Amino acid sequence: MTLPSERLLPRLFLILLLAVLALAGWQWRDGAPLSANLMELVPGTAPDALELRAEQRMQEPLNREMLVLVGHADRQQAVAMAQTLGEQWQASGLFEKVQWTLQADLPALRTQLLQGRLAMLSAVDRQLLIEHPDTFIQQRVQALFDPFNGYSLVPSQDDWLGLTGRIQNSQPQRGSVQLDIGSGTLVADADGKSWVLLRARTTGNAFDMNLPLQVADLLEHSREQAAQHEVQLLAASGLLYAAHGQQQAAREMTWVGGGATVGILLLLLLAFRRWRVLLAFVPVLVGMLFGAVACVALFGHMHVMTLVLGSSLIGVAVDYPLHYLSKSWSLKPWHSWPALRLTLPGLTLSLITSGIGYLALAWTPFPALTQIAVFSAAGLLGAYLSAVGLLPALLKGVELRPAQWPLRVCEHLLGCREALLNQVKTPVLLALLIAFCVGGLLQLNSKNDIRQWISAPQNLTDEARTIARITGYQPTSQFFLIRAANQQQLLERQTALSERLDQLIGLEKLQGYLSLNQLVSTPNAQQQVREALSRLPALWQPLLDIGVPAETLQAELTKLQALPAVDIDAALSGPLAEPYRPLWLGPTEDGVAAMVSLQGINNPALLRLQGEDLPGVTLVDRLGELNTVFAATQISAAELKLASCVLIVLVLILPFGFGGALRIVSLPLLAALCSLASLGWLGQPLTLFSLFGLLLVTAISVDYAILMREQVGGAAVSLLGTLLAALTTWLSFGLLAVSSTPAVSNFGLSVSLGLVFSFLLAPWAGRQVHESTAAERAA
Amino acid sequence: MMFCHPRPPVGASLLAMVANDDTGHLTPRGFLRFFASKLAPTVFCVLLGIPGLAHAFDLQQLSEQLAKPEVIHGNFIQEKHLRALSQPLTSKGTFVLAKNHGLLWLLKTPLQQDYRITAKGIARRDGIVWQMLPGKSAGAEQNRLFLAVLQGDSSGLQRDFELSLSGDAQNWKLTLVPRSMLLKQVFNQINITGAALVQSIELLETQGDSTLLRMQDSTSAQPLSDAEQHDFAE
Repeated sequence: MTLPSERLLPRLFLILLLAVLALAGWQWRDGAPLSANLMELVPGTAPDALELRAEQRMQEPLNREMLVLVGHADRQQAVAMAQTLGEQWQASGLFEKVQWTLQADLPALRTQLLQGRLAMLSAVDRQLLIEHPDTFIQQRVQALFDPFNGYSLVPSQDDWLGLTGRIQNSQPQRGSVQLDIGSGTLVADADGKSWVLLRARTTGNAFDMNLPLQVADLLEHSREQAAQHEVQLLAASGLLYAAHGQQQAAREMTWVGGGATVGILLLLLLAFRRWRVLLAFVPVLVGMLFGAVACVALFGHMHVMTLVLGSSLIGVAVDYPLHYLSKSWSLKPWHSWPALRLTLPGLTLSLITSGIGYLALAWTPFPALTQIAVFSAAGLLGAYLSAVGLLPALLKGVELRPAQWPLRVCEHLLGCREALLNQVKTPVLLALLIAFCVGGLLQLNSKNDIRQWISAPQNLTDEARTIARITGYQPTSQFFLIRAANQQQLLERQTALSERLDQLIGLEKLQGYLSLNQLVSTPNAQQQVREALSRLPALWQPLLDIGVPAETLQAELTKLQALPAVDIDAALSGPLAEPYRPLWLGPTEDGVAAMVSLQGINNPALLRLQGEDLPGVTLVDRLGELNTVFAATQISAAELKLASCVLIVLVLILPFGFGGALRIVSLPLLAALCSLASLGWLGQPLTLFSLFGLLLVTAISVDYAILMREQVGGAAVSLLGTLLAALTTWLSFGLLAVSSTPAVSNFGLSVSLGLVFSFLLAPWAGRQVHESTAAERAA
Repeated sequence: MMFCHPRPPVGASLLAMVANDDTGHLTPRGFLRFFASKLAPTVFCVLLGIPGLAHAFDLQQLSEQLAKPEVIHGNFIQEKHLRALSQPLTSKGTFVLAKNHGLLWLLKTPLQQDYRITAKGIARRDGIVWQMLPGKSAGAEQNRLFLAVLQGDSSGLQRDFELSLSGDAQNWKLTLVPRSMLLKQVFNQINITGAALVQSIELLETQGDSTLLRMQDSTSAQPLSDAEQHDFAE
C-alpha cells in the first residue's frame, strides 16, 4: 500500500522541519522578534526620517505621562487629596516624576529673563520699541506707578526699562488653569468643583508590557481611595488605553483562540471518533511555525496584529488533513496513504489557488496586508507539506470509522437542495440572489478611520474630553514641521507661519499654538532691538524726572547692548523654555528643523491651506493621511484580488477546462458579493477590514468549489468535507467577530458571512467527471 | 491562535492622539503669568476689604467694623521705595470702594490713570472706554479672592497668610506673613493699620523694595455718585 516515495517523504519533511526549527531558534535568540507599534502596519506614506522623529517626539509624552484631575467642591480637600495621592504615587516606584505643586526656580527664571531681554522680546513690544520709543518710555513710567501692574520677577533696579516685565506678560497663555498661591498647586474650576492637577511621568512607556497594567491598577486603587472622601478623579493617558487594550486582547485571545482550538478538536473527535485524529492539528502547528519564520525572515520582525489575524489560519490549515480524513466516509477501509493519493491533486490545486489569493494581497501598499499575506502563504505551504509528507505516516495504521450522522445530515441537506431546485430553477434563484445583492449594495456605505484599529472604551475617551474641557488644553495630533537652512531662516519662516495662525485664532478656527519664535527672535531682530535701544537716551527724560539717575540708565543700556545674541539652543536651556524644548529638532542633514504644535483645531483642511505656499512649512496630519490611504488601499486591494482571480482561472483551466474554471472562481466572487450586500442590509459599514476579510474568503472558498466539483466519494461526502472545512474556518475566523476592536470584529463578521455564502453556493460548482471518481465508484 | 499573546498596547499613543488628551505644559510659565498679573492686585484687594476673619475675637470685631460701610471714598498716597532710588516713587489720587460693586482707583499725579476692579476683572480707562487688561479676566485667581473678600469669606486669606492683630478698635495693626513657600519668595510681610477704616498698607518685598499706601480722609458718608455708578456699571 505504501509506495517507496511515501517512505522517503516523511524523512525529507522531518529534515526540512528541523531546518526551519533551527532557523526559528536563531530568529528568536534575542527574545521574541515581535513589534507592537501600530504605525509600522499602516500604509507607507513614507514619512521621511525627520517627519518620523517629529512624530515620535510629539507622541512621547502621551505614552509616558498621565494627567489626573483631583476634584472636590472644596478646594482645600481637593488639594489635600492630590497631595496624598501624589506622595503615594511617588512611593510606588512606577513613576520617574510625580508633580502636583509648581516648583519654580526663581533665580533661574530671573537669570533667563535678564539674559533674554533682547532675544525674548515679543514682536509687538519690539515694534513699539523700534517705531515708538517715546511711547515705550511713557509706558514704562506708567508701569512704575501702576499698582495693578503686578509683581515683576526682576526688581526694577535690574531692569529700569522694564523689558523683563514685557517678556513675562507676553508669554502665551493657554487653558483655564490657575495657580493656587497658597498651596502652589494648579487648579481649574469647573462644574462646581475645584480640580487640582496631578501629573505623573512613568519610568517606561506604554509599550512596556507590564507597566500600563500596573499604572491602571494604581489609578483604580486611588479612585477608590478618593471616592471614600467624595473626591472625584479624572485621568487621561496613553498608558490607560494601553492597559485597556492589553486586558481586552488577553481576554479575547483566550476566549477566541482557545474557543476555536477546542471547537476544532471537538469537531474532529466527534466526527472521526479516534484520539489519533487529533494529529490533524500537526499541520496547523507547522503552518504557524512556517508563517512566523517567513515573516521574521522577510520583515525582520512580526507584528502582533499579524499574529492575531494570521493565527486564524488555524482553520484553513486544518482543511488539508480534513480533505483526506473526510474520505473515510466513502473509502472503506480508510488508509492514510491511499486517501492522500486520491486527494493529492485537489490539495495541490487548493494550495496554489489559496496561495495566489493570499499573495495578491502582498502587493498592496499596506504593510499590514503584506505581512499577513506572507504569513498566511508560508503558513499554508507549511501546512500543506506536513499534511502531505508527515501526517499520513503518523496516521498509518489508524482505521477510521467515522460517525455516520454527519453524512446523513449532508445527504439530507443535498436532498433539500434537490427539492428546492425542483420547485425553483437555478436561473430564478440566481435572479433572486442578484436582486438581494443589488438591494444590499445600495445600502452599503464605506467607512475608513484609523480609530477602527483600536477599541477605545467610552469611559476613557469621555474622561479625556472632560479633562480637555476643564483645563482648556486641547492638543491635536496635527502639527507643522518647519525646515530651513539655518536658525535665522527657521525663525523667519516660523514668524511667517505665526502671522497666518494668528489670523486663524482671530477667526476662532484655532485655539492656540506653540512655536519657537514665541520664545526667541531672529538674530536680525535682536540686532534691531540693540540698535533701537541706542536711540533711547534722547527720549528717557520722563524716567529721569521721576528720579532714576542718568548714569544708572546709561549703565543699564551699556549692559543691554553687550548682551550676546541668543540662539535657539541657548534660549531653550532656561526654565521658561520647558514647553518649547520638544519642538526643537535641531540640525538636520540639510539645515535645521522645528515643529509648531497646535491647540484646538476644528478644520485641518484650513490649516493645510495656511501652510501651503510657505516655503519649508509642512502640515503633518498623520491621521488624515492615513484615512485617505485606507480608502485608496481598499480600492487597490480589490483590484489586485480581481487580478488574482484571473490567475486562478488560468491555473484551473488545466484540470477543469475554461468553463469549469470560470464557474469555480465565480462562486466565491458571488459569495463575496452576497456578503457585501448582507453588510448593507445589516447596516454595517464597509471598511478596509471587512473587505480584507472578504478577499480572504474568496481565496478560501475557491477550495470549497474545487472540493464540490471534484466530488471524490460522492456529493454528500464532498459536502461533508466542505462543511467540516467551513466549520473549522468559521471557528477560527468567525469568533473574531465578538472582538471589541472594531477592525478585528469587522474582519470576523465579513469572514463569517462570506463562509456561509460560500458553503451555500458551493454545490453549484458542478461535477467533474474524473477518472479516480469513476474508479472509486466502480469499486 | 496558538500564540495567545496578549495584544500589547497597539497604538496606545495613537489613540491618545485621537482622544486628544494631553498633559499640557504646566511649568514656570504658569508661575510667571501669575506673578505678572495677579499677586499684587490680590493682596491689594484683600487689604481694602478685610474679610470676616473668624478666628479670634479681635479679628472678628475688626472684620465687622470694616464690613460696615457700603461705600468708602478717600484719597491715597502711594510710595514705592526702590532700593536703588534715594527718593520713593510717589503717586497720589482718589479711590472709591463700593461693597457690591468693586473698586475705582483714580491716579491723579504724577500721571493720570483710572483703574477699576470688579468681578469681571481689572480694567483701565483708555480715553473714555474701560479696557480690560489681558490676563486679568473673570475667573482669575485675584477676582475669586477679591469677591470672596467682599462677601466676607476669609478662607482664602487665612489659608495663605498668618494673621496677627494688635492694638484696639481705634488704633490697630494687622500683620500678614505668607505661609506658602511660593509667597515667601515674594513677600516678607504685609502690615495694615487703621482705625474705623483702613489707614495704611505696607508691602515688604523679599528683594528689599517696599510699597506704602496711605489712605487719607476716608469717609463712608458719601453715596456713589452717578458718574461712579456709571463707571461700575459699564
